[in-house]
Amino acid sequence: MLQTLVFGLITGSILAIAATGFALIRQTEGFLNIAHGQFLLVGAYLGVEFTSKLGLGIVLAGLVTFVCVGALAVLCARLVFDPVRERGALVLLFTSIGLAYVLYAGSILVFGVDILSFDVDFGNAIMLGSVAITPVEIGMIGVFVVAILGLMLFFNRTRLGTWVRATASNPDLARVRGVPVGVVSASVWFVAGGLGGVAGILLGLNSSVTSELGWNATMLILAATVLGGLGRIYGVMAAAMFLGLVMNLATEVIDPSYSTLVAFGALIIVLLIRPEGIFSIERRREIAA
Amino acid sequence: MTATATLDVEGVVKTFGGVTAVDGVTLSTAGSDITALIGPNGAGKTTLFNLVTGFDRPDSGTVSFNGRRLSNVPAWKAARLGLGRTFQTPVGFPSLCVWDNLMVAAAQPASETILGAVMGRTRWGRDLEACAQRAEEVLDQLGLSDLRDTHVADLSAGDAKLLEFARQLMRRPRMLLLDEPASGVDPSRLPQLAALIRSLVAQDIAILLIDHNLSFVLDIADHIYVMARGRVISEGTPDVVSNDPQVMEVYMGKAA
Amino acid sequence: MTGVILFFAGTLTLAGVYAALAQILNLSAGWGGLWDLGMAGTVGIAAYVYTVATVSPSEFPNLDVALGLPIPVGIALSAVVTGLVALLIGIPSLRLRGEYFLITTFAFAEVVRQLMINQSSLTGGTVGLNRLDRPFEDAVTGGNYRYVLLAITFAVVVALYFFMRRLGRSPFGALLRSQRDNEPLAKALGKDVVRYRVLTFALAGVLVGLVAPLYVWYLKRVVPDLFAADLTFTVWTALVIGGIGSFRGPAIGAVFLICLTEALQFLQVDAEHAVLLATMRPLLLGLVLILVLRLRPEGLFTERRAFQRRTSPRTAPLAPQRAALASSPAAMETSEGSGS
Repeated sequence: MLQTLVFGLITGSILAIAATGFALIRQTEGFLNIAHGQFLLVGAYLGVEFTSKLGLGIVLAGLVTFVCVGALAVLCARLVFDPVRERGALVLLFTSIGLAYVLYAGSILVFGVDILSFDVDFGNAIMLGSVAITPVEIGMIGVFVVAILGLMLFFNRTRLGTWVRATASNPDLARVRGVPVGVVSASVWFVAGGLGGVAGILLGLNSSVTSELGWNATMLILAATVLGGLGRIYGVMAAAMFLGLVMNLATEVIDPSYSTLVAFGALIIVLLIRPEGIFSIERRREIAA
Repeated sequence: MTATATLDVEGVVKTFGGVTAVDGVTLSTAGSDITALIGPNGAGKTTLFNLVTGFDRPDSGTVSFNGRRLSNVPAWKAARLGLGRTFQTPVGFPSLCVWDNLMVAAAQPASETILGAVMGRTRWGRDLEACAQRAEEVLDQLGLSDLRDTHVADLSAGDAKLLEFARQLMRRPRMLLLDEPASGVDPSRLPQLAALIRSLVAQDIAILLIDHNLSFVLDIADHIYVMARGRVISEGTPDVVSNDPQVMEVYMGKAA
Repeated sequence: MTGVILFFAGTLTLAGVYAALAQILNLSAGWGGLWDLGMAGTVGIAAYVYTVATVSPSEFPNLDVALGLPIPVGIALSAVVTGLVALLIGIPSLRLRGEYFLITTFAFAEVVRQLMINQSSLTGGTVGLNRLDRPFEDAVTGGNYRYVLLAITFAVVVALYFFMRRLGRSPFGALLRSQRDNEPLAKALGKDVVRYRVLTFALAGVLVGLVAPLYVWYLKRVVPDLFAADLTFTVWTALVIGGIGSFRGPAIGAVFLICLTEALQFLQVDAEHAVLLATMRPLLLGLVLILVLRLRPEGLFTERRAFQRRTSPRTAPLAPQRAALASSPAAMETSEGSGS
């Protein structure tokens, strides 16, 4: 039971890091970026590449991946999304589906279809009472804590972070007030992509890297984002943790193959009874606009 | 006094996230053909319209139309009871042409069924003929006849404004709520607009309107309510209201 | 040579299945403005209901339910069940618009797929159900069956085309497009918008139920993997290419897209390049989607042209110069499927 709780925390941490980037984009750019899952895929492949081929340490590989995938996200935003920005959320959404396919196909072309895994030795599991936890698992939760603290600092202590928050709460007003929209947009894509890349590495460390990693994550990211109230970043983090715990705890009572089903079941129930999300504090202003 | 429909609003309150947009408004259109609601921006006029027409629910208070309580009546049902409304920005149905905009407005639910569509014209032919006849009348009345095949997205602002009226006229409402009918209309065409609104009264359509253009309102309305910060601060005939010092202070003082 | 012709008959049949699905999506998403990302789910339900209803218990002893019903009854059952499922999803979720409906349907499709995998006593699990019977199979010899299937598919696509044309031009179709364009205004004109959305989604479900058996016949089997999000996205891409909201667009977009992606399969490559080839389909799909949305977001055929009035009753002499002056490309973009 306690062991399952730890697994839940780990799943939740990874999901939270992945979903935060997605929520950031939804909040500041105004659309659901379906290609976000593929940032995870690219990140996971790069991570394997950096550790096995270049022999980088896992932490360094993670940092380099953050920068690479972040840059890739900025590039995608400029090349793919900017030209159709004025055409509304639906066009942006379907463009992101197109981008997802391109990134997916591109990753397979570059990295192949073989199932890869991280060849990194972290030493043996540590026993904490009845719970066995490996250093890498502690590391994952650590990354989550660092990510949360980093984002909090970024939002509350830096000028750029304040601009991002202003843009997220009211893009038009922010523009009028002279917030440099281009800088905000680029930095949001960089952070979102970078977090996605790191989440991809964590997913790969937790199991293995397959070409479907991105698509599989996309569904869970969407689930966490809706549960957290579409783009409310701290709400989405809480929801991701909640989903991770529920999915793992559910395996205690039902067949493990149903655990993802539990996540989507929860999502659908929440959508039907409380569409503004269970972890959002304010009610959404107007849903049926 | 020609129009027979009446709207009664009593003690209506609406709060959005701690801000009271409408704070206990009571008004009635009884005894007047054209009632106007004026006040500065943020006075709660459009919110009141939304509450009356079922687009929003009041926190407390009642709205009744011809003696019938409208609490919990959704917007589409209020419209079917004969309470029409226009919108400030006359977007219309941009991907439909003018003619189809009118036909949609007037079509009866009985002809808007899937079965009816499958069976073809035989099922909805008669309703359609009546609508088409009405559409010809309305287009003629508003001078829009030569634009019937134009897409609404391509209309000029003034024509779009007229079409906003036209759609409502198709339904023969008992009362029409006009949200800023004069905004965006060329000043030289205001007398034409006033004449149009008066002609509606002659067709037994009572009018409740919001507008910023004070001279337009004073000219056309029989009875005026002045709102500020969610409350009615003054009411009466145009003469009474335009001489009320309180009104001068909050409304005209600001406008000057 | 016959191999080539057979291959094209097969490709065209698959294109026809997608053409039928794209036309249905055009009803709900194009005219209704319902952002449905759950087509894989409804198609999956329809395919499995049809299959379970028509296979005989003796051939599939592992299944809990195998009704062995005649094919027409199976199709009817699939239509009814799929329609009811769509109704059940639609009633609560169509109160909300846009993204929420999109996510609900997307999640629903994933739930359906997971259930297909897990409920193996009903669905055959990941292996699926194979070697299924098809109509008129005894009447023709081996390879020629492809032409029979192609003919049936073609007939279905044409029938749907005329059905949609009729629906689109009816007061029901006009109402659908109007509530998509401007929901508050439709309400102010006395239209019970939510009810019509639910009805439309349910109708789309029924139509999917009628069409899905074609897909089963084409494949001769049902496997959960066939009903992944990829199916939904392919249908959407076909619709976007062809032109959202037009009459001819969805079918032609589907034929174009499927011929493009399936033609790749015809290339003979060695094992070394097989991976490369396998990535071509998603790559093409993605590029086509991105490029069409950027360069011609209204698609090959436009809704505007489809609904252009040529003869209004008692048409007065038009004022073409006035209309032409006022038209702007920006106006077309806002009217293009973006909903609210």
